[in-house]
Amino acid sequence: MPDWTRTTLELIVQELQQPVRVDESFDRRVMVRVRRMQAERRPRGAAGWVGAAVNLSRRPAYAAALAAGVVAVVTVGMLRSRPQTVAGSEPIPVQFVLVAPEARSVTVVGDFNNWGLGDTALVAENHNGVWSVSAPVPAGVHRYAFLVNGKQWVADPTAPRAAGDDFGQPSSALVVEGTPE
Amino acid sequence: MQGPDGMESSDAALVDRVLHGEVNAYGALVSRYRDKYARYAVHMLGNREDAEEALQDAFTRAYRSLARCEDPERFGAWLFRILVNRCRTSGARRVRRGQTFVHDETALLNASQEHPAEQTMWREEIERALGELSADQREAFLLKYVEELGYDEMAEITGVGVSALKMRVMRACDRLRVLLREVHSA
Repeated sequence: MPDWTRTTLELIVQELQQPVRVDESFDRRVMVRVRRMQAERRPRGAAGWVGAAVNLSRRPAYAAALAAGVVAVVTVGMLRSRPQTVAGSEPIPVQFVLVAPEARSVTVVGDFNNWGLGDTALVAENHNGVWSVSAPVPAGVHRYAFLVNGKQWVADPTAPRAAGDDFGQPSSALVVEGTPE
Repeated sequence: MQGPDGMESSDAALVDRVLHGEVNAYGALVSRYRDKYARYAVHMLGNREDAEEALQDAFTRAYRSLARCEDPERFGAWLFRILVNRCRTSGARRVRRGQTFVHDETALLNASQEHPAEQTMWREEIERALGELSADQREAFLLKYVEELGYDEMAEITGVGVSALKMRVMRACDRLRVLLREVHSA
């Protein structure tokens, strides 16, 4: 019987703070799923550029001009695209561009590369502060973001923001149109 | 899991190893947070089966999105945020299925190994009272008093304003006091 000389709240909290033990088989079950996820990752083949990408510009005028050009490409690609996965379609090469003169490294992570887990991150090359990388992306709707200096999560300000999710980080939406038959 | 120096690896070190392809390092993170967060899930969802499912889902979602963990040193807090959301989803799904909150018999069984029978009954009464709260109130109460988070942290995790959270906690406390006093006055 609880000691009613103490407050009810303290008694409740004391009881609820008792540890809850989970069987160690739980770890194995999680790791089976994790290893399966890792095994399901497939390397993607290389391909030439088609267009569509991203840009981050808060600095010089040349960057804004570049941004305008890139946005035009994105607009064409996205307005014509359809918001669903295109079954059976070949991945479409997409160029990702980020203007970040002071960055030391830039990678592209998204659901199309399992958010860069393991060695799947797309490492951009630096061309005088304009970072770019191209990669084949399956047709459909994707989320992506830039990872600057390995830790700063940057959504693409020129692309639509992806709807909120569980992970607390902003990301952008990318729609890739399927290959015309 | 220990690092090369024999010391316990930090969350950030383990996350880094996972991101560099060492999947087994993730197992250390699972072991580190399994029991701690199971407590929240069990109390929030009211039964061990749903709680383990939500917890497992949180761990796998965290793995899939590990590169999006902005501050690996605070992996635990990031994982907890995912878990809170999974519990919300699981709770809403259960409501749609028409199921009610049930007390966790397994947890009670565990508890009975350490506590005398009266203490087990008391715990059962608490679990039942928790189940009488709305999901919002239960979530706020558990985060504030059982997980001992500050209101700012709670707001960050839940996306709910501090004022609303304080109101939920206050109502949850009032309701629990009434429910448990009713039990003991009966």
